[in-house]
Amino acid sequence: MNLNNNPALIDQLAASYALGTLRGGARRRFETLARDNAPLRAAALIWQSRLASVAELQPELAPSPAVWKRIENLVSADQQARAMQAARAASQAPVSAPASRWWSSLGWWRGATAAGAFATMIAVVTGLSLTQHLNSQVRELSARLSQAPDIQYVAVLADGKATASMLVTFDPKNKKLVLKRVSSFQAQPGKSLELWALPPGAAPRSLGVLADQPVMQLTATESGLREVPMLAITLEPQGGVPPGSGPTGPLLFKGALLQTAK
Amino acid sequence: MTPESPDTPLIALLDRVALADESALRELYDLTSSKLYGVAVRVVTNREWAEDVLQEAYLTIWRVAGDYRATLSPPMAWMGLVVRSRGLDFLRRRTAERADHVQELDDVISDTVAGDSPNPMDTTQASEQAWALHQCLNQLDNKQREVVSLAYLRDLSHGELATQLKLPLGTVKTWIRRGLEQLRGCMARFA
Repeated sequence: MNLNNNPALIDQLAASYALGTLRGGARRRFETLARDNAPLRAAALIWQSRLASVAELQPELAPSPAVWKRIENLVSADQQARAMQAARAASQAPVSAPASRWWSSLGWWRGATAAGAFATMIAVVTGLSLTQHLNSQVRELSARLSQAPDIQYVAVLADGKATASMLVTFDPKNKKLVLKRVSSFQAQPGKSLELWALPPGAAPRSLGVLADQPVMQLTATESGLREVPMLAITLEPQGGVPPGSGPTGPLLFKGALLQTAK
Repeated sequence: MTPESPDTPLIALLDRVALADESALRELYDLTSSKLYGVAVRVVTNREWAEDVLQEAYLTIWRVAGDYRATLSPPMAWMGLVVRSRGLDFLRRRTAERADHVQELDDVISDTVAGDSPNPMDTTQASEQAWALHQCLNQLDNKQREVVSLAYLRDLSHGELATQLKLPLGTVKTWIRRGLEQLRGCMARFA
């Protein structure tokens, strides 16, 4: 069958492809053909663009005013994250990619340091089911950042699906590391969550085992957290791993640690 | 596109949003949120979910407005695509989260297919391209138009459409085939 001699068939296939009703093997064959066949590819693009206007013809409906408030808050947080990232990039030499054996084996870690600040905020804004809860957390966090100048580091730890789960703030003066849960995740009985600092080029260092409360406090020193681009939480045996050893369990949440001042 | 086209101010706003201008996003929202919320409701069939989708969509627009010009699309069509794709992501996430997921079809939609009520197509802010599609869709009968629109908006197969709309599979296939045939003949006249 020579498609190029059959413009009607080209148009018909392209329309079904763009509509989405061309499925399975037929769809895959179409895609293979279109890669080598410019008229077919062009017809598909024309139909995709025509059908995109279906959206333009849908009846209008007013969303609740709360939607704009939520967008506004998240956009402000996004702006703030960009500013923080810029400030951080300006004040620090680039950190080399971390290379410890344990976490270099996990592909989804990579490239996270430089993009960390922005990616973290994306993590915040894409956690759909959590957004409302999160909005208030972000507002509260912003308020705290402006009122409490001694909080100099902040991190949002998210899971692999970029759903934020933990907010971390660090006050170096008082050596206070505060963790707030923003999701309902709980370790199963007999297991504990353990927080790790991931210094570049060195093994993960335990910062402590988390209790079950929604807000937890750990003690940490600034020298222990300075130059640490990432924090992570793993699932470990109850009580955590023995002192001095590295993580043994699966990685649950991670996020960039951002300096808020300077 | 003429200077008076409804596209012109929207394109100018998208350009400003691309430069991280928050007030431009607000203006864009005021001009387009009702239309885009309408799209979101049609895709996810639930007003509360649609608000989450709308929020996601505007944050996507906020982040990728710089990509808009390269698409050569009418601005409303482009934003509609963003809403549709965020809506489809939302439905996929929901389906993944609950194995017992049952698509709750809202009354408005089952009515428009079951009965023969006029399709509530709306041309507010429609681009020229959308006007052409509007004219061609108008030549379909209501059921065909509705089935074609839903197939597209919700990215549904013949089988999924038959299940959601409680129609025989053969009927859905026939309506789609005839609807697309008529649409092809009609759209060809608009080049």
